Amino acid sequence: MSNNPSLHLAEYLERLPGTTFKKLYQQPSTAFAIFRRMLPHLAKTFVMRMLFMPHPMTLNDLDVWVKPEAKRKKDQSLSILRGLHIVQISAPSKEKPQEIQLMSNFKRSLRLALTGGGNHNSFGVPSSLLIPPEIDLPFLDRYARKKWEDVLHFVVSSVGYKSVGDGSGPNKGVKELLIAGRLVDRRPNGGLGITQAGFTFLLQEANAQVWTLLLLWLDVLGNNKGSGLDPVDMLSFLFMLASLELGRAYDTNALTEERRNMLPSLVDFGLIYIPQHKRSMFFPTRLATTLTSGGNSLRTISEGVTAATQSAQTSQQSLGPLGGGGGEQQAGSVVIETNYRLYAYTQSALQIAVLALFAKLNMRFPDMVAGRLSRASIRQAINFGITADQIISYLAAHAHEQMHRTAALTNKPVLPPTVVDQIRLWQLENERMKTTSGFLFRDFTDDKDYLDTARFSEEIGVLVWRNDHARMFFANKHEQIKDFLKTRKRAE
Amino acid sequence: MPRAIRGVLIECDPSIKSIIVNIDSVNHDFIIEDLDEERVVVKENMVQLLKQKLEDRLKENLPPVDESGSE
Repeated sequence: MSNNPSLHLAEYLERLPGTTFKKLYQQPSTAFAIFRRMLPHLAKTFVMRMLFMPHPMTLNDLDVWVKPEAKRKKDQSLSILRGLHIVQISAPSKEKPQEIQLMSNFKRSLRLALTGGGNHNSFGVPSSLLIPPEIDLPFLDRYARKKWEDVLHFVVSSVGYKSVGDGSGPNKGVKELLIAGRLVDRRPNGGLGITQAGFTFLLQEANAQVWTLLLLWLDVLGNNKGSGLDPVDMLSFLFMLASLELGRAYDTNALTEERRNMLPSLVDFGLIYIPQHKRSMFFPTRLATTLTSGGNSLRTISEGVTAATQSAQTSQQSLGPLGGGGGEQQAGSVVIETNYRLYAYTQSALQIAVLALFAKLNMRFPDMVAGRLSRASIRQAINFGITADQIISYLAAHAHEQMHRTAALTNKPVLPPTVVDQIRLWQLENERMKTTSGFLFRDFTDDKDYLDTARFSEEIGVLVWRNDHARMFFANKHEQIKDFLKTRKRAE
Repeated sequence: MPRAIRGVLIECDPSIKSIIVNIDSVNHDFIIEDLDEERVVVKENMVQLLKQKLEDRLKENLPPVDESGSE
């Protein structure tokens, strides 16, 4: 398997063994968080319907709940539920129909989370001490934003455009973490440079960024056995943090020692705040309490560009819980000329980083950057996974007022058509092959074997290509197909 | 018993595919399975190298690009 740290919570969870899930689900807060964040709506519906059932139900009964045309959706939901070890489905056999039920740990914990009761303390113990008056919501928001912007500026500044007045920067540990996670890497000349993963990171919404960093952290500590920290316990602590209430103080002494040892790192990330003179209480910040809210999963770099474009089009500043990191996105700042030169009137480090994705920037002034679009720069953008259409719509959405005025006067399109066409041509020239990693399945013994397996993989949505004649198909995941083949073999 | 082979599916134009096959013909160390006119499965660890070799090949046949123009 690849050694790349997984930047995606779903991927991370998928790799955990079943025993880990058993441990995780002992905490009601964890079961609840997974339910809230990781499941599609249909899967949530299934879980809620089965939650208070005393006995397993047959899969046939479940089919009745779903309209026939939504079968694919149902299969995908079930496959997610199985992947997260939330349900178990009995093996098919001749005597009994297949049955489905919630895993007992998960069921118990989710019931506790929803109906209350028990003394598990998994939703935190409030501190009984007096809260210092200066610590209020605006204070916590300011604090968290400052911490997080430090992190983002550190990543951005490695592009080579020093952000204005970068005094402190994030803690050394955080920097090491970003380097270890290859969001930035050391260049031969001793400086730091942003990586493709770093760009992806930058364009995500704040919530997803926090998860990326936390997962990196879990990975680093998990590989380092001497740390004495158990990644499973850490993960369930994070889920607990997510269930806490913003603006309330919680008792540090109610935490286990391992969890207390995690607190300094969480302070570095800006997830919690500990007052200088009252070390026995901690405040979760908005970064922590929004960890499991919203079903928004991570964005790829190209979705990030789309999002940046849309936010300019609607000129709404909806950029995650902290209002974006690298500065405000201002609409109407980019001028592009027919000779491919580009000028952007902006100071936003994030916007400059986005422009640097597809343009060669060569001058920076206090309130403006200048550069050029070239074959090489567009090619670089395409390597990052950005499409020509995204670049064009980004430019259109951010076009300077002057561009609109000239266009209206001369009755021409806002962006010079030559540039738009050339960007498209450059893309055609560069986009020569589409790659999908996964597994080729072949050497099936007979047609039925092949057809059943191929149909199964199509139903769970992993099939990429099939050739019935050659009895081969290509799927982007193999775990469930393997299970499917095993159960089939047993049933024979 | 069916087999599952890890690899990367590459979808491209027939012209590009023939170049890939040609690159592979030197040592036969890229392609796992030649699927059809527009698809091949390639070893995962060789994709980067293949992309690079393909670029080199294509560069040989492309007219030099005019990147001058004052900055």
